[in-house]
Order: sequence, then structure tokens, then C-alpha cells
Amino acid sequence: MTTLESRTAAPVLNLRRRRRLRPVDVAQRSIGYALIVLLALFCLVPFAWVVLSAVDADAGATVQIPAFSFDNFIRFFTASGTPLLLINSLVIAIASTVLNLTLGIAGGYALSRFAFPGRRFFMFSILLIRVIPAPATIVALYLIMVNLGLANTLHGLIIVQAVSGLPVTLWLMKGTVDAVPVELEEAAWTDGNTRLQAVRRIVLPLIGPGLGAAAMLMFMGSWGDFLTPLVMLQNQDLYPLAIGLFRAFSERNVIDWGLLAASAVIYVVPPAIFYMLVRKHLLKSSLGGALKG
Amino acid sequence: MTALVDVPASAQTATRPPTPRRRRGQTWPFVLLLLGPSAVLIVVFIVLPAVYGLWLSLTNTQLTGFAARDPKFVGLDNYSYLLTSADFLTSLGQTGTFLLFSAIIGQTVLGMVAAILLSRPWIRGKGFFGAAVLMPMVVPEVVASLTWASVLATSPEGTLNRLLNVFGGEPTAWLQTAPMLAIILVNIWRGLAFAMIMFQAALEDVPAELIEAARVDGATAVQVFRHVTLPLIRGPVFLYLLLTTISTVGVFGLVYFLTRGGPGGQTRIAAIYIYERALQFSQVGIGSAASIILLVIVLVLGAVYVRLAKVEV
Repeated sequence: MTTLESRTAAPVLNLRRRRRLRPVDVAQRSIGYALIVLLALFCLVPFAWVVLSAVDADAGATVQIPAFSFDNFIRFFTASGTPLLLINSLVIAIASTVLNLTLGIAGGYALSRFAFPGRRFFMFSILLIRVIPAPATIVALYLIMVNLGLANTLHGLIIVQAVSGLPVTLWLMKGTVDAVPVELEEAAWTDGNTRLQAVRRIVLPLIGPGLGAAAMLMFMGSWGDFLTPLVMLQNQDLYPLAIGLFRAFSERNVIDWGLLAASAVIYVVPPAIFYMLVRKHLLKSSLGGALKG
Repeated sequence: MTALVDVPASAQTATRPPTPRRRRGQTWPFVLLLLGPSAVLIVVFIVLPAVYGLWLSLTNTQLTGFAARDPKFVGLDNYSYLLTSADFLTSLGQTGTFLLFSAIIGQTVLGMVAAILLSRPWIRGKGFFGAAVLMPMVVPEVVASLTWASVLATSPEGTLNRLLNVFGGEPTAWLQTAPMLAIILVNIWRGLAFAMIMFQAALEDVPAELIEAARVDGATAVQVFRHVTLPLIRGPVFLYLLLTTISTVGVFGLVYFLTRGGPGGQTRIAAIYIYERALQFSQVGIGSAASIILLVIVLVLGAVYVRLAKVEV
């Protein structure tokens, strides 16, 4: 019945719309298209230089028709310092994401399944923390890291990154575990599983989408962060790509534009790959029907 | 953000009384074991720096030199120094200009335009336009800055200079002659997508019948937006303003990469001032005091937004 109705309604609507498309409407739509095209150009044009220069054998600071070659990428992977930048970035982002998710799953599970006094206070306190802009606490954090002997180390930076994303991960994981019916766990307990076994067999397989979202946010945050590694790391061998690119841009007298553009492209690839891997997972919800029957 | 806001409702349904199977006294060991590590780490690496920063702002701590070994309590000296320092007040003014024109005006207006256009039924290629607007937000900060280093390049071949040349403009060294304008433009570019996403979500909740009714009554598109749509999305707009204020005050890399606060301190926004003072001139006390002042300003602005959002709804 509903499909029939909408089918008859649609042409009428269309007819009316077509008849009503006065010059004013045409003008409005043209202006609308012009605006959205301009906005899209504004957003995309700055990327032209990076993309074109990365494959340009003699790239400069400005956009030009490239002398096509993959030379810049080959130089990135064969030069002495640059592969290490990529490895450091990967180590920092992957390790901080793993640490963050481990803490986040455990904490989120506790926040979801146990009603203990102070839980709401804890949840809202960690949410309020987000109000503090990062530059406002970076100095004190650096001094604390120096005192703990964690400044200028990769593991120190990894811990700081993982913890900085923890409030968001805890909120996300609590919400995700909330969505897993506690009845499923109880059924596992009666079947003789311990609490931990029930979590591993029932909860973990069901929180995939939430976990994917949290992992994505954490990885992107850690991967793109510039201020924290800039302050925490002084040793050149520990620099991630963000700092490497910054130094290559601002501290060399002669800037190797081609290599810089290629590095930027390489810098963007891992999060893009990660996103494509996680995307399918994000859309998939495996909870449907778990309680039916 | 929506995920965060949605949680409390579902939390209520989930906090059902403990099942009889769970014995009393079993809760705390589990909670401490599972949540304890997170809580301790959050205290050490997020709460402690904030508290320690407050203490540092009352001392003459230095990174190096004599005062590094033996910092002294100096009361409010750092604050009175900062509030009479032309450098710092200029820096605060620049932060205000940056915030007002890039976030509160630029991102909000353009984000709203993008959100409204993409909510029109007659626009084709929504996926493409949406993705295009999203690109500046998802690339790392350093890559975003690098792309603009080329757009704003001094030579006549810089992208912006080339574009202006079409309209008969003179080539300009943008980062030297108009650095504030340049970083405002860059920050609008980067933050546009977030505004668009927030406003798209808000616009979806506006009932179509209300818009239709106003149109039937003969209101123009502008009048409908001004008197129907805008009052209805007031809450999300102020929530957006709050979030963008916090993140814009925290912008560091985007500006530092392009200008390093220069030329002549013309783009030394507060985040850069703090970084320079504390870590380059090693005056940790003064840098920390500047951080606290910045934090207080953000909190005051936040309170103002929350108030404005509630009044007249």
C-alpha cells in the first residue's frame, strides 16, 4: 500500500516541481552549484602541489606539469634518515593504539558492567578533561616526563599518546559493551565459563564495530600529532614523520621539494589503508538476532 | 561527538541491579583490576600536568640555569608580569582575531553554506562534494600545512598568486605581508568539514513540514533560514562554537609550521607564545602562567556559549 502511494505521489510532486521551476529557482540552483563547486575547489586545490610534485623528477615549490617519475619515492626509501621516520611513526601509532585499546576495553567493560559508586563522576570528569587545549598542559607534562625518565624516549611518547586518547576510548567502549546484552554473558556463566572466558568468547567478538571506531580515532590522532613529539623528542633517531617533514621544510637551506612531497604522500597512506580495512568492520553489526527465540 | 552524547541514555538501561548470581564483594576487585590502570594513567598524564602547571605558574622555574635547580615560589608575579606585558597581550589579541575570523565566522558560515547546499534534494554529486570538503580535515596537520606552503608561495608561480594574476592581481609574499590573513584562511580550510558535519546532523532534525509551511506562507529562502531553521538548530550551533573554540585555541602545528609565529611576532598566537616562552626561552613559570590564563579564557567563553544556547529557546 505504501509503495503504491509513494509511486503515485512521486510523479505528481515531480510535475509540480517542474512546472514551478521559475527563473528564480533556476538562478537559485545555479548559484547553489557555483558555491558548492567553489567550496570543493577551495578544499581540493591545495593538494594539487603535493600530488603533482611527488611524481615530478624536478619538483619545485609550486605547481608545474611533472616530469613523471617515481624517483622521489625511491629516494625516500633509500635515503639514510627517511625510512626510519616512517618506522618510528608506525611504531608510535600502532603501539599507542594497542595500549589505548587494551586499557579502553578493560576500563569500558568495568564501567559498563559494574555499578560502583563514583562511576558517573568518573565518566563526566574524563569528559571534562577534553576542555583543556593541548598546548596548555604540554609544558608541565614535559617536566613530569623528565622526572619519570620518560622524556626523549619512544615508549614515553607512546604512553602519553595512548593516555591522551583514553577518555574518548573509555566512553566509546562503555557504550559498545552496553550494547552487548548481559544475558548472553550470563548464559555463558551458567555454561561453566569464568567471567574472563565469557568476556573473551562472548563480548570481544561482538564489540568489533565500536572497537574499530575507537582504533581509527586513536590511530589517526597519534599518527597526525605534531606538538607532543615536537616537545617530547630531541633525539633525531626517534623522530616520527611529522617532525621529520617539519625539519626538512624549515631547517634546511635547500629544500628537496620532490622528496618532501613524496614523504607527505607516504605519510597519508597508512591511515588511508587503515580506514579501508576498518570501514567494512564499522558497518557490520553482528548483534542482530542474538536474543531472538 | 554524537556517540559520546548518546551514551548516558543507554547507560541507564544497562545499569540494572547486579544479578543474584554475582556475589557481593566481587565488584571492587574487578573494577580496580580493569579500570585501575586507566584511572592511574589518566591521573598521572592528564590531571597531574594540569595541577602541576598551576603550581609551576606560581614559581620561577626554568628549564636550564640556576633557577632550574632551585625554583622559588613567587606568588602571582608571573601573572602580573604577563598581564602588563605588551608581547603577551598582543598574543592574546592575535589569538582572539584568529579565533573570531577563522572559527567563529569563517568555519561556521562556510560550514553552514556547505551543509545547507548538501541538504538540497536537487544537488547532484553529494558524495563527491562531501568527500572533497572532508579531505582537509582528515590529512595530518603537517601535510595540511605543507600544501598551503605551496599555495602561499612567494614566487609569481605560487598557486594563489597565479589565481590572482588571472584577475590582474600583483604577486604577493602572503606569509610576509598578510600572515594573519593567511593562517586564518588555512584554518578555515581545515575546520570547514567539522562545521559541515555538525550542521548537517542538526539540519536533518529540522522537521520538513515547518519549512514547507513557511514557504507556503510566502517566506523567501533567506527568511525561512533566519526565522525557522536557525532558531531550531540553535543548540547544535552553540555546541559547535564551544568545540571549535576549544580546538582553535589549541591550534599549534598548523600555524607553527607555516610562520613559526612570525614575521615579527605577527602570528604568535597563544599556543606558540607558551611554547616559545617555556621551551625555547626556558621560562617555564611564565609559560605555565600563560597556559592558565588561556585556560581560564576558554572556560569563560565556554560558559558564555552554554548560557547563550539556553536563553530564548
